[in-house]
Amino acid sequence: MELALLQLFNGVQYGLLIFLAASGLTLVFGILGVINLAHGSFYMLGAYSALTLTSMLGDVFLAVVVGIPLAFAFGLIIEWLFIRHLYNRDHLQQVLLTFALILIFNELQRVIWGSREHSIPAPEYLRASIKLTETLSYPVYRLALTGICIALSVAMMLVIQKTRIGQLIRAGESNREMVELLGFDSGILYRFVFAAGVALAAAAGMLGAPIESVYPGIGERILIISFVIVVVGGIGSIRGAFLGAILIGVADAFAKVYFPAFASFAIYAMMAAVLLLRPAGLFGRS
Amino acid sequence: MLQRPQGLLLAALIALLVILAIVPILPGEMAGPYAIKFITRVIIMAIFIVSLDLLIGITGLVSFGHATFFGLGAYAVWFVTPKFDPGNLALAIGLAVALATAAAALIGSLVVRTRGFYFIMATLAFGEMMFALFHDTKFAGGSDGVTLNFKPLLKIGGTTILDFSGRFALYYFALVSLVVAYVICMVIARSRFGRVLQTIRWNETRAQALGFNTYAYKLAIYIIAGAMAGFSGALFASIDGFVPPQLLGWRESGIAIMMVVLGGVGTLHGALFGAFIYNFVEEILRDRHIVGQLASDHWPISMGLFLIAIVLAAPNGVAGWFKRRKSEAPSPAAAPVQAARALHAIAPPVVQTRNLSRHFGGLVAVDAVSLRFEPNRIHAIIGPNGAGKTTLTNVLSGLLPPSEGTILLGEQDITALPVHRKARLGLGRSFQRTNIVPAFTVEENCLIAAQAQTPDLFARKFNTNAETNSIEFALNATGLTAVRHRPVAELSHGEQRQIEIAMLIASGSRILVLDEPLAGTGPEETRRVTELLRDLARDHTIILIEHDMDAVFSVADEISVLVNGRLIATGSPDQIRNNEQVREAYLGSFEPEGSKA
Repeated sequence: MELALLQLFNGVQYGLLIFLAASGLTLVFGILGVINLAHGSFYMLGAYSALTLTSMLGDVFLAVVVGIPLAFAFGLIIEWLFIRHLYNRDHLQQVLLTFALILIFNELQRVIWGSREHSIPAPEYLRASIKLTETLSYPVYRLALTGICIALSVAMMLVIQKTRIGQLIRAGESNREMVELLGFDSGILYRFVFAAGVALAAAAGMLGAPIESVYPGIGERILIISFVIVVVGGIGSIRGAFLGAILIGVADAFAKVYFPAFASFAIYAMMAAVLLLRPAGLFGRS
Repeated sequence: MLQRPQGLLLAALIALLVILAIVPILPGEMAGPYAIKFITRVIIMAIFIVSLDLLIGITGLVSFGHATFFGLGAYAVWFVTPKFDPGNLALAIGLAVALATAAAALIGSLVVRTRGFYFIMATLAFGEMMFALFHDTKFAGGSDGVTLNFKPLLKIGGTTILDFSGRFALYYFALVSLVVAYVICMVIARSRFGRVLQTIRWNETRAQALGFNTYAYKLAIYIIAGAMAGFSGALFASIDGFVPPQLLGWRESGIAIMMVVLGGVGTLHGALFGAFIYNFVEEILRDRHIVGQLASDHWPISMGLFLIAIVLAAPNGVAGWFKRRKSEAPSPAAAPVQAARALHAIAPPVVQTRNLSRHFGGLVAVDAVSLRFEPNRIHAIIGPNGAGKTTLTNVLSGLLPPSEGTILLGEQDITALPVHRKARLGLGRSFQRTNIVPAFTVEENCLIAAQAQTPDLFARKFNTNAETNSIEFALNATGLTAVRHRPVAELSHGEQRQIEIAMLIASGSRILVLDEPLAGTGPEETRRVTELLRDLARDHTIILIEHDMDAVFSVADEISVLVNGRLIATGSPDQIRNNEQVREAYLGSFEPEGSKA
């Protein structure tokens, strides 16, 4: 029972973290119409830059505060260099180009940080654990992380629901030409959205780094999980991605403890089941 | 439609084949063990990639789990290889193909129900489940993979015919297999069956509306491609004798997609180029003797830059560099040819709706509509925007299930039939947005429609007599004979609208549901289409949705008016013109004389 409670906590916390990554993916797909295979690479780059920034600044939270604007700027550059050529192109062309980016980013990571596995210490003041019951305690860092993820998610929802740019984003999602007809430069809107997607993925990578170790190939794992979440929730739907992320996070946490041999099987089986019952995801419009 | 390779392209393919055939007799390192092994691997990959193009390029099914069948084929060889003896080659290949076929049938029956991006992810999910099965359990070596102690060989009556432990035997066997596989794929893609697959790629909804059970077609090609992938996997296992579970994984599937896209999708030869170019470029970029130590250490960067350059420079892949189908000299625009034709002797059955309704959540788009469509008459349905006209046609033709009510064809209740079954009973529809296959010629579009009459995949003749007759009639009636060999993408909007109607006629439909056939046509084309409708009404029932009031009132025998989903009036054009309720509904904007909505 206590184990189940612990795994529920872990699952929700992991779900919130991967929601950050997946929401970036679903924004970019829903609004720009681009399938971005390199999305996981931005998570990976986030995790590795947290490694460097933490050793420079001494605190992973400072690293995140500095890292998010850096990631946003990096996203602007990548959009300008590569992604802007992909709008209105065939999805397969997008897949090929962003796959090429994975090759390059992975190699850059190997050159800069090497192939070793690293770990990042949680900040000194958050290393304690809170006693939940007689025998069960929970690390404070994970609780703090849950709070930060919730805050970031709420902030994103507010931007999308309440601000002018969010309004444009929602308008562009349903009708790209209309935004242009209204006189907005959709090129700038797209660059902003793509950079925001990169920043979200990198933020997830930086925040998750003290919990998981940082290793080569971490980006691909997140990429696949993010796609699973996006599909389970329904493409382009932030609400769907949220529900999908929590579902996948909890399913993963429980499967790891109760059916360790089938842990990776469980996520995919769940996605397959959702797709067969609702072929356009939980919140998708077919 | 997919063309056989011709001219420069054919020469390139033959040159490639000749070079591959003479590689083993070249001097020195070029025929050394390393080179032969490498090229063998590329040839086997090419078989796998061509089979994937059947799905991606021909049918439009982007499978992110094709390596599942490749890996299963490889494991099959290990299953039949004894510890201290070579395995039986025929048995190994047979089991590989059988396993891959069975898995493709099982997975395919589930995944081909999804479309687009969801299909990509569904195939990925099943691929990863299969990967987990081999990677996380111990029944086939687990995460370490398995090793064959002996390569398989083929013995007949004590003499060894083929022994894969000799490197040239496998090389030539793979090369011959590649040629056979390419020819098989070409034959499939150009067959009656393949024609439907290509239509599905462009427009699955249209293929259904013509009467094809697209689920069955997609499943069939999924299984065929899976079986071919299994075969290539069996050969792959024979190269090194090492089968890791990663062969089944998403990376392998993903790289296979990259090769297809690199070469250019939907041409089959593009897949061949893609496999060769991808692997040779990678090999060159990894070779420190060619690119230097530093570049070869970091080859993924140069590989990535190469792929980016290809995407930016060649949007249609490498195959796009070879000239596309030449279009013939522009022919004169369509001219009305009203050839005398034999009328159908038997009238089509009456179509009736009874209390037909369709809700979308709380919105009632069609509200308890009861209508009777008499044979050989033009029955127009009009109404202001948002009246539910298009929803009504979608429900009638089966694209949307009704929420309530029944649809009768003669005495038969066809309410619950899916769209392709209704089409086969003669209830055909055109679409508001032009919905034809742009890469096909006018004639090929009609051909695919005519083929829907006889969905027999194994008809001996390519086009049956009945089909040829339907096509001739359809082209003649719509005046498209002169442009029959031109790709429809080159034709004017008005001509494309006429092809819509030509396809309906060619499909043998007797009840034609036409959704705004006059939208966007000029006055001359409008006149021609209305004449055509009058001619067709001699032996077809026409249900006409149209905004052009002049045309409707001049051509229709009967008019029904929908407002907010409700039927407010039915009658002759004169009755409707003088109906107070109708005038009111249009708020005075209803001026049958000279107005155009």
